[in-house]
Amino acid sequence: MNIPAQSLINSLTDIQSGFAYLWPEIILTFFFLLLVGLDLFKATAVKIMLPFVALAGIVASIMVQVNDLNNIASISIKHFFVGLLISDGLAIYAGLLFSVAGIFTIVLSLLNQNLKVKFSGRGEYYAYLLVLLTGLNLMAKSVNLLMLFVAIELVSIASYLLTAVIKKQRNAMESGLKYILYGTLASGVMLYGMSFLYGFGGSLNFTDTLFWQNLSRLSSPIFIAVFLLTFAGFLFKVAAAPFHFWTPDVYEGAPVPVVAFFSTAPKIAGFVVIIRFLIQIRNHLATILQDDLILLIGGAALITLVIGNFTALWQRKARRLLAYSSVAHAGFVLAALAALADNSISAILFYLTVLLFMNFGIFLIVQIFEDKLEVADLNGLSGLGKTYPFLGILAIIFLISLTGLPPTAGFTGKLLLFTNIWQNYAATGNSFLLVLLLSGLLLTGVAFFYYIRIPYFLFFKRNLSEGKKVMLLKENIILALLAFPVLFIFFQPSWLTNVIEQVVLYSK
Amino acid sequence: MDYILSSLIFIPLLTVLLILLLPKQMEGAIKSVSLVATILQMVLSCWLFFNFNPTASATTDQGYQFVEKLNWISLNLQSLGHLQIQYFLGVDGISLSMVLLTGLMGVIGVVSSWTIKKNVKAYFALYLLLVASVMGCFLALDLFLFYLFFEFMLLPMYFLIGIWGGPRREYAAIKFFIYTLIGSLLILIVMIGLYTSVIDPAATAVNAGLATNASGATPAIVNQVQSALVSGTLASDKLVHTFSIPDMYQAKNFIPGSILHAFSNIQLWGYPVRLLAFLLLFIGFAIKLPVVPVHTWLPDAHVEAPTPISVLLASLLLKVGGYGLFRIVFPVFPEGAAYYAHLIGGIGVLSIIYGAMCALAMSDLKKLIAYSSVSHMGFVLIGLASLTVEGANGSMYQMFSHGLISGMLFIITGVIYDRSGSRMIQHFRGLAFTMPAFTVLVVIAFFASLGLPGFSGFIAELLVLLGTFASATVSGMLPRWMAIVATSGLLLGAAYYLWALQRMFFGKIWVHPEVQETPNMPDLTRREYLMLVPLAVLTLVFGLFPSLLLDKISPAINQLVQFILVAGK
Repeated sequence: MNIPAQSLINSLTDIQSGFAYLWPEIILTFFFLLLVGLDLFKATAVKIMLPFVALAGIVASIMVQVNDLNNIASISIKHFFVGLLISDGLAIYAGLLFSVAGIFTIVLSLLNQNLKVKFSGRGEYYAYLLVLLTGLNLMAKSVNLLMLFVAIELVSIASYLLTAVIKKQRNAMESGLKYILYGTLASGVMLYGMSFLYGFGGSLNFTDTLFWQNLSRLSSPIFIAVFLLTFAGFLFKVAAAPFHFWTPDVYEGAPVPVVAFFSTAPKIAGFVVIIRFLIQIRNHLATILQDDLILLIGGAALITLVIGNFTALWQRKARRLLAYSSVAHAGFVLAALAALADNSISAILFYLTVLLFMNFGIFLIVQIFEDKLEVADLNGLSGLGKTYPFLGILAIIFLISLTGLPPTAGFTGKLLLFTNIWQNYAATGNSFLLVLLLSGLLLTGVAFFYYIRIPYFLFFKRNLSEGKKVMLLKENIILALLAFPVLFIFFQPSWLTNVIEQVVLYSK
Repeated sequence: MDYILSSLIFIPLLTVLLILLLPKQMEGAIKSVSLVATILQMVLSCWLFFNFNPTASATTDQGYQFVEKLNWISLNLQSLGHLQIQYFLGVDGISLSMVLLTGLMGVIGVVSSWTIKKNVKAYFALYLLLVASVMGCFLALDLFLFYLFFEFMLLPMYFLIGIWGGPRREYAAIKFFIYTLIGSLLILIVMIGLYTSVIDPAATAVNAGLATNASGATPAIVNQVQSALVSGTLASDKLVHTFSIPDMYQAKNFIPGSILHAFSNIQLWGYPVRLLAFLLLFIGFAIKLPVVPVHTWLPDAHVEAPTPISVLLASLLLKVGGYGLFRIVFPVFPEGAAYYAHLIGGIGVLSIIYGAMCALAMSDLKKLIAYSSVSHMGFVLIGLASLTVEGANGSMYQMFSHGLISGMLFIITGVIYDRSGSRMIQHFRGLAFTMPAFTVLVVIAFFASLGLPGFSGFIAELLVLLGTFASATVSGMLPRWMAIVATSGLLLGAAYYLWALQRMFFGKIWVHPEVQETPNMPDLTRREYLMLVPLAVLTLVFGLFPSLLLDKISPAINQLVQFILVAGK
């Protein structure tokens, strides 16, 4: 009998049917090619069109993702492409967040003077962004080590390019180079770990039961070593310690919209991958490894929290301050991941969703400071709150939310995260979780101290030089749109949690 | 008058919106609007005070009156049950006097703010925001709502000190914020622990299909739910976790096996978790009160804040700390109250003595008064810790009375500062010569504060000391020496006030030449009379007729003391 032929036909039909779940990536890739093609034309009319072409591509992919989200019950959990990828609630929701981040990035880029003036290859810029989005989508969908590695590399390469996109700016090249060096190192270490996983597990598919059964035969020190190596790459992507060193430099050198994007979308993707891994470990190896895992992930969380929050205290530039704040936020999410329960996933998704709005809001404010008012240092902000009260008040809203104080969604997010840690502590009785909870809460006090320095300079310090007042109408409207969900979700969190509950229900 | 409590909170909040719509130049209109709003709030709180029925407390819904209860946030946490946050307001004997105080001092503060010149619009918007959130704190019966208002007080206060304050305002503002924020984070930890452990029996009944709606849950059904909870027959996804403070009072509402359950013997680093939770909550509110080791933010904040903000800080914000002890810390963890009575009483005595000693050493009149606040808040602490009926009533009375008197005292420093730009005691002599009427009011305020019979401070401190003396035999909480040492605090109080009075007001008129070349200290203006005279009258009224207030508040406080004594044993 022709069994090989039959299996080939099966694989082919599987691949063919898999395309149905790949529409967002297909659309994004198509628009990427379109952008590259259009960029060849020199006419200004075409050049001006380019961002809007990219925007159209992302909107099209959002429409597919929203549709998927609405029909999530019928799509359910589906492996496709011979088990390389998975389409489940987590992947679809993460994809939606990436697309939203992409749209915000384009909006910020359109408002960015620096990108307009110093930079000619606009087509490339938007094309890279679409590739980056494609990579992120694939990352969230991967359940195969090799596929995961390819997706992460796609994201990384696009990220390196975006960092150094303004070639005339000196620190852009420097930060791009640093990013590449750290990034390749982390990728290498991760690949090394993955090779062990493949060798010991006998499969590349990490949702495979057999894979974990094989791994469970390993003695736990070896498994932990392998696990640490593999996680190096993931922790690099979420900017968690000790793989956070690239963050301040990249945040300082890259264009603001790109930084805002880096502080949200790749972080979300990284956490999705970590969640997928940890769920598998919990399902298959929990009995052996639970306490070790809490110690490892919790330890990373604790270091990240301490480094992020305390280093931020000494920063004098808004960008570097936000870079460390972004490290600190990764720490909070990791703390919730330390004892992963079903409920933690929804809390984390909630937190990451809120983070999206807060970070784009605060980075738009940073962009306004740098572009329109020409200040990068916190000192330079002195007295600007009195000249631009609306901007100042919105800055307070975003910073309060980043700190995690009511009445903002940041508070609800932190409340849900901390509740989870508490409940997991109650369930496991592992007092390290309580240490995490306490230090997380107390570090919120530290966080407040550095966040409040921005309003402190804005409102308390006198402005010595009388600068001319610039119009900020467009920026203010966008800022208000970003601030609205931050406040609204605090008063009506069920609006968001209901969606997330559905998503988690259909996640693997 | 169904929504009187909401209107108490929302009148100032809506006025903030109105002020934001007014153009910057209309300063007069902004001030008038704020005054009208606070007067309206005062009238409503007075109406509330006189219509509050103290004897009905046992029969109405869990002892609270004018209750407003709406579902606000309801989250389904699947296997962990439901999370319920309510818009839950109500008054009882514990919050009543504080609501009245907020209504009164809100108006006094606006009158005192009349001379503010810098950025009037923003000032009054923040001021009203502050008053609204203080009011919210006293009315909220849902811990989440309480916490929302509690945190929301910080931001307006931060800006009010930091923009309109004195030379070291930035330092004082950030210090105030960091201290209070650390306190509120400690409260947040326990808040998370509490809501994961406590269920709302009525809402759980609805969720489990035993009742059609929450108001239809009869006591029988509630009992049924509570016993099902104890026997473990309720599925965990049917449980409705709640932030409702009254639900937290009842041990029956705690989920068996949850960390904060009354009978849980879970230990953490050698201590029972419930006692640790009590300590965290206590520290959180003690920072706000403040008590001695964590009081250092208070003198700075007071000295740098503008006069009206000092008035609000002393008369209202400190009371939120004390109120938190009454409303949350003691009744939710009664065994902690009994276990740590010595410690709390000791800290109270320390605050009384140390605060008074510091006041004695101060040369800045405003700092002197700030430290006297620390000293007086010590009485609140020992009165409550004594867990006697007299002590707890006196403690509450002290909060109310100190609210009135400290308001007066800070206005007095404002009067001197406005005329001369200095508050140093040694810069002035013989002020009585040019300011006779002012001196009369100063004497009243000083004597009221040091506890002269006939003023409200006397009643409060007398009750507290009686309770503390009786405690050793009645409740067995505090040893007698604490009462004796605390009494000596009264002597110190007399010393620093009389000494300051003698130095500043008696003798021949003289002002330090660096302050004023020739002494120019005119007597009170009409606006200043308007603030000081009503407060002086009120301290006298409440000093001569304590039953005015005690009749309203003591049934609830007696009940609270009994409850803590029974549950804490």
